[in-house]
Amino acid sequence: MKKIILQGTLIILMFFSTWFLLRQVDWMNLLNVEKTADKTEHKLGELLLEIYKQNDSVNTDKFVLQSIDSVVTKICIANNIDRDNIQFHVVDENKVNAFALPDGHLILFSGLILEAENPAELSGVISHEIAHIELNHVMQKLVKEVGLAVLVSMTTGGNETVIVKEILKTLSSSAFDRSLEKEADIKAVEYLINAKIDPEPFANFLYKIANNDSDFNQYFSWINTHPDSKERAEYIVKHNTDKVLETEPVLSQQTWDLLKENLRN
Amino acid sequence: MIHVTSFIYNPGEHEAEKASNSYLMSLVALVAGLPLPIINLLATFFFFIANRKGTYFVRWHCTQALLSQFSLLLINSVGFWWTMSIIFSSDTLSNEYIAYIITVLFFNLTEFIATIYTAVNTRNKRHVQWFFYGRLTNLICKQ
Repeated sequence: MKKIILQGTLIILMFFSTWFLLRQVDWMNLLNVEKTADKTEHKLGELLLEIYKQNDSVNTDKFVLQSIDSVVTKICIANNIDRDNIQFHVVDENKVNAFALPDGHLILFSGLILEAENPAELSGVISHEIAHIELNHVMQKLVKEVGLAVLVSMTTGGNETVIVKEILKTLSSSAFDRSLEKEADIKAVEYLINAKIDPEPFANFLYKIANNDSDFNQYFSWINTHPDSKERAEYIVKHNTDKVLETEPVLSQQTWDLLKENLRN
Repeated sequence: MIHVTSFIYNPGEHEAEKASNSYLMSLVALVAGLPLPIINLLATFFFFIANRKGTYFVRWHCTQALLSQFSLLLINSVGFWWTMSIIFSSDTLSNEYIAYIITVLFFNLTEFIATIYTAVNTRNKRHVQWFFYGRLTNLICKQ
């Protein structure tokens, strides 16, 4: 009996030591896994953006872009996020919506910027979308909903517009998993605190759009893709209360007013 | 790792064939059931049930074949569900996962070779005892 236990233990030890030894090799680098994944994401991002630009008008107003850029840059610098990884695009559309595309593309609808009452509310939404990008939620969602095989085939020649449009629809008008949304919210609060921006307006923004009239709700795509807003607003506030916060203005009132005015025109 | 001895009695031609088949059964199932590890175990288990009233030599080798499938079932199942979680949920490819899959493939290959070797030897009426599994079978399978 002793010998059986000894031999059994030896087999288990052999298995785990083989695994342990093989773990010392950097397989991801050796097999170019990350490079291939990055390449796929990069091509996918370009493909989706191209289609998007064909169908919608992208805002090219210098002042608008510079103002949003200063918000994005502030959040990135404060959180050690490579600024080059995030590329935002402002789309002239009345809907209140914002979403992330693969390869760090962030789409902001002018409707959402106009709906925000102050720069901190907008910063909250931007932080939330940056969190989705940084936590690799976009590719996770696509792999889960579209399938890895379809994504790879799309980026290696099988360039079918119908599928690309379907993916775009998935990313712009359907929700992430509840756990991913919560993760992005908590990360967004961290980003805001590090950037010395008060997270409370972000929670207020969620409350506000959750409480809007149903007639008005059809314009609130962002809230349709981000359900349970009240609950989310509550845990954002809760996550925020135990932190002592020193805040700095994100944009001056003058810049904020001018930004909105330019968007309205 | 593998110990070839003579059995306590000289098995007949028919017994040697049946005992050898118990390994082939797990081998065929291994090829067919690679993505679903439970299939190997089920195939070997049914063969074991069918021969549980067979002669000692046949029973002994059916038991050894069945026992060896249990450990494969464990490691293959972990590999299978880990792969599923990478494809369908939030898990991502990692060095740990790739190392695990290589280890699993290595152990499966070892078992595959050992199974062929044992099937051939058992068919020639030679008694093959595997490291650990042989002793465990001796403990479970009584004359």
